[in-house]
Amino acid sequence: MSNQNNKTSLPHWASILGVIAIMLGVFLTAVHGNEAMKQAVVTQHMPADGVMPPADCPEEELEEEGISVAECEYLIDRVQGVALAAPDWFPNAQMTLSIIGTVLAFISIIIGGALVNYTPWASKAAVTVFSGLAAVDLLQFAAVVNTGPTLREVYLGGILLWFILHLMLVVGALAGRHTEAEA
Amino acid sequence: MQRQGFSRTAVILHWLLAVSIFFLFISSWWMMALPLPSPELQFRAFPFQLHKNIGLTLVIIILMLLYVRLRHRPAPVDSQHMTGWMHWMAIAAHVAIYGLVLAVCVTGYLSSAHTRWDTVFWWSIEFPRIAAPDEEMNEFWGELHTYAAWALLGIIAVHVSGAIYHAFRSDGIVRRMLRW
Repeated sequence: MSNQNNKTSLPHWASILGVIAIMLGVFLTAVHGNEAMKQAVVTQHMPADGVMPPADCPEEELEEEGISVAECEYLIDRVQGVALAAPDWFPNAQMTLSIIGTVLAFISIIIGGALVNYTPWASKAAVTVFSGLAAVDLLQFAAVVNTGPTLREVYLGGILLWFILHLMLVVGALAGRHTEAEA
Repeated sequence: MQRQGFSRTAVILHWLLAVSIFFLFISSWWMMALPLPSPELQFRAFPFQLHKNIGLTLVIIILMLLYVRLRHRPAPVDSQHMTGWMHWMAIAAHVAIYGLVLAVCVTGYLSSAHTRWDTVFWWSIEFPRIAAPDEEMNEFWGELHTYAAWALLGIIAVHVSGAIYHAFRSDGIVRRMLRW
């Protein structure tokens, strides 16, 4: 029982920040992992000449997917549009950043747990990892800004939101460290 | 003496399950927007196979988690932090999550089993065909898969809300699933 009492007296800010970091970390691991797969799949399966073959839209497939012939054809145009809008350097850059992001996001889940349990290294590690995630967002933002309107429309809103969230986590961890230092 | 929290194995399996489930949701929305497959367009091949691999692995993970949870029960939560209705709601949400994860995985497999695509688990173990390709059965199980997945997402939202509620109260309940 005394152990339980000790645990519940751990800093409130660390408990909240930790759980939020875990929730976001779980989601972001999936988001970055999916982005890495997206770049790999599209790059690998684009025809070498960049010209897509005509859409194959059998009726039973359309019924199963719940789409029209027009939408079936659009699925090809959409992939081609995104591929055409990406400069040569973009898929590799995006894939590298996404893989780094996946690893950092996964680590942030562990850091979140450490914050909730308030282990001695937790707040310092939190500042480092959340800053790393914010840096990945900034680099992705810079990469996408240097493409064109198509990719900006696809990516920028999401990246900006993640950057703001990571900035809040960094500032939260810093504020918590300062509060502990003053106490 | 009982542990205050869940065992380390249960904690690792729980978070592995969480990351995998979110990856499956997010990647499925993307892969369903890829061009329909044809001999020249194979964009869907890898993501669909990966989706099946992770889904089938989740069945193993959730059965392991269930075994570990039942074998190593943590000490009951202090009733001061969790009132009766909260306790029952938490139990109901957990049972629903276990049931729905299994339902989503099984219906997904059955839907896939009625297509012309084979299932090769992690590209190494070929699953025997349990049914001939059948468009109607594929659609039937596919729809159940989709509805079960939406229900799972809804119940996960309830589960996450509960966790955040207890984190804001800092009552030690969330910490039970965060013992690395």
